[in-house]
Amino acid sequence: MKTFIAALTLLISISSTVYAGDLITAKGKTLGRDNHSFIYEEKDACKTCHVNAKKNTNDAACVECHGTISTIDIDTSRLVNAHANPHKSVHYGEAISCIACHAEHKVKAPLCSECHRTWFKEM
Amino acid sequence: MQGRRNFLKLSAGAAVGSLAATLPSTVQANTCHEINWDETFDVIIIGSGFAGLSAAINLKRSGIKSVLVLEKMMQFGGNSAINGGWFAVPKNPIQLSQGILDDSPEELVNDQVTAGRGMASKEHLQAIANHALDSYHLCVDSGVKFREGFNMLVGGHNKARAIRTVDGTGGEITRNLYQVAKNEGGDLRLQQYVEDFVMDGNRIIGLKVRSGFRYPNLSTGEITHIKTNKVVIATGGFAMNKQLCNLLDPSIDPTMDCTNAKGATGEVTLTAMSHGAMPVHMNMIQTGHWGSPDEGGFGWSNALLSITFHEGMIASVLDGNRFMNERLDRKYCSDRILAQRNPDNTPAYPIAFFNYNDYPNDDRVVRALRDEMAWKVDSIEELAAKFDVDASALKASITLHNKHVENREDPLFGRLMDTAKHLTPPFVVSRIWPKVHYCMGGLKTDVDGRVIGSKNLAPLPNLYAIGEATGGVHGVNRLSSCACLEGLAGGFIVSKTINTDMEV
Ligand SMILES: Cc1cc2nc3c(=O)[nH]c(=O)nc-3n(C[C@H](O)[C@H](O)[C@H](O)COP(=O)(O)OP(=O)(O)OC[C@H]3O[C@@H](n4cnc5c(N)ncnc54)[C@H](O)[C@@H]3O)c2cc1C
Repeated sequence: MKTFIAALTLLISISSTVYAGDLITAKGKTLGRDNHSFIYEEKDACKTCHVNAKKNTNDAACVECHGTISTIDIDTSRLVNAHANPHKSVHYGEAISCIACHAEHKVKAPLCSECHRTWFKEM
Repeated sequence: MQGRRNFLKLSAGAAVGSLAATLPSTVQANTCHEINWDETFDVIIIGSGFAGLSAAINLKRSGIKSVLVLEKMMQFGGNSAINGGWFAVPKNPIQLSQGILDDSPEELVNDQVTAGRGMASKEHLQAIANHALDSYHLCVDSGVKFREGFNMLVGGHNKARAIRTVDGTGGEITRNLYQVAKNEGGDLRLQQYVEDFVMDGNRIIGLKVRSGFRYPNLSTGEITHIKTNKVVIATGGFAMNKQLCNLLDPSIDPTMDCTNAKGATGEVTLTAMSHGAMPVHMNMIQTGHWGSPDEGGFGWSNALLSITFHEGMIASVLDGNRFMNERLDRKYCSDRILAQRNPDNTPAYPIAFFNYNDYPNDDRVVRALRDEMAWKVDSIEELAAKFDVDASALKASITLHNKHVENREDPLFGRLMDTAKHLTPPFVVSRIWPKVHYCMGGLKTDVDGRVIGSKNLAPLPNLYAIGEATGGVHGVNRLSSCACLEGLAGGFIVSKTINTDMEV
């Protein structure tokens, strides 16, 4: 785990802003995000997020590496308008999990797009 | 608390709900079952909207040590977080500054009783209204910002008493209350799907929870059992449960979308019923007449129409004519809009418009045009062509309306014309169609929030309900801006009741 974090810290410091990685075939038949490929190279890769190796996960691993919704800057030039910043949502602020909008193994439409149809695409 | 054991005669029924078919079988009824409690809390609140968060804060402040809030979704706030931020508060400071000095909780209740058409509970409404100012101060003290100088008269109210959050959403309230509840020691958790109650006879003693649940997949997460002295049901309504809505009210039209958050499926209400709780008014399902078929959820339509209803007009695309009093309440308007049908019974979405030049820079207009749920049209001809209405009929109908505006009298539908404006293009136009919106029905409680059992019409020990999960409060029609109040006030009421019941 420590090595993952070190590697990720490096990645983050290279690219100034973070955005959701592209979905690629990560390992066997499993799809995953390209910026997580170093995780899939590890033996117990699944346990990084599925801590109890159960069909069960939360966003603890996301936050451990990337920080919280408030500390992760997103590229605001890519937003359709100033209100559409999902990391500064007037509805949720910090009261939301990363996985409400982000998925590791499949594309997912962010929660916001349930109402704001023209604002977001699947990621 | 891990490993604490209890040997009890349990009667936990199978979990119910719209997704029940996919559920693995749960604790069997009436088997002698050994519960391995994973944790214990003084009070567990199910749901994290206005009601759940207000209850959590009030219970913590009353000195209750361990308070747990369980939320099944991946975000806190439920419908409250996506709501429109309208909040009825008699005697709020903005109202007073507007010189309206004769409002009171009783005045509000009178309006609500009228809207309830004889089916409302005056006692419940009064208990709630009495906490309006407390609820307002809870918000302000928690960092919630309301629009300066903004206090409006909204449908069905006889006085301007609805304030609104600065961002125009209840999320302003829930995200601030969430922080306060957390800071004050509440334990608030996401992805906790309450699947069933653990009962000892008619007494609830704990919850069976699917922890780590990932909506909507009911095979995710792991089962945990949490022991508790008191359970507060704050799970909101069930408007998103199409199967249930259709069982209860077959008139809910399949053409209607729903404004609600996806989690509003009501399985905890059904679970409570399966353990003896009494439901009331379940078939009273409110539709919002201010929906737009051109956007998802609640969207901008309601805000945009707050201009149209006063200053503009709504016309049928079938004949270009007005067909209702735009200023009346949502039940009246819903019925009339839904009657607008093409010969093949598909919706003939009516058009709603007002003068663009009066609001070119108004936020409500700018964002509606930007997100393409409304359009600017430069002439009556363009309007008619865009929505396939007979242009001369539409022109005649607008001319007639303008005459009524001039006379400040609406002989067609008796609309109050004090705010109506002479209509000249360019117009802002949107389409209108009702959406399923709110559940007046739910669990019957006493006036203090105790859930009533159907067997002997007495409270079920240790079980409480507040907010939209309750029923029989508003009667036939809930007035707008009153659900925010109901949820927040419910937290004050139930906290007091639980403290009283703990002393006994
Ligand atoms: C789009 C919209 C706009 C509205 N605008 C206004 C307005 O401006 N003013 C006004 O007064 N009212 C408005 N209303 C109505 C009002 O917002 C709701 O009635 C109110 O938010 C209900 O609050 P609540 O706390 O009872 O329930 P909710 O806020 O719905 O919270 C219930 C929570 O319980 C959770 N839950 C449900 N089942 C389970 C389970 N099995 N296990 C764990 N958790 C569960 C849900 O996921 C949800 O988060 C609006 C409603 C909607 C949908």
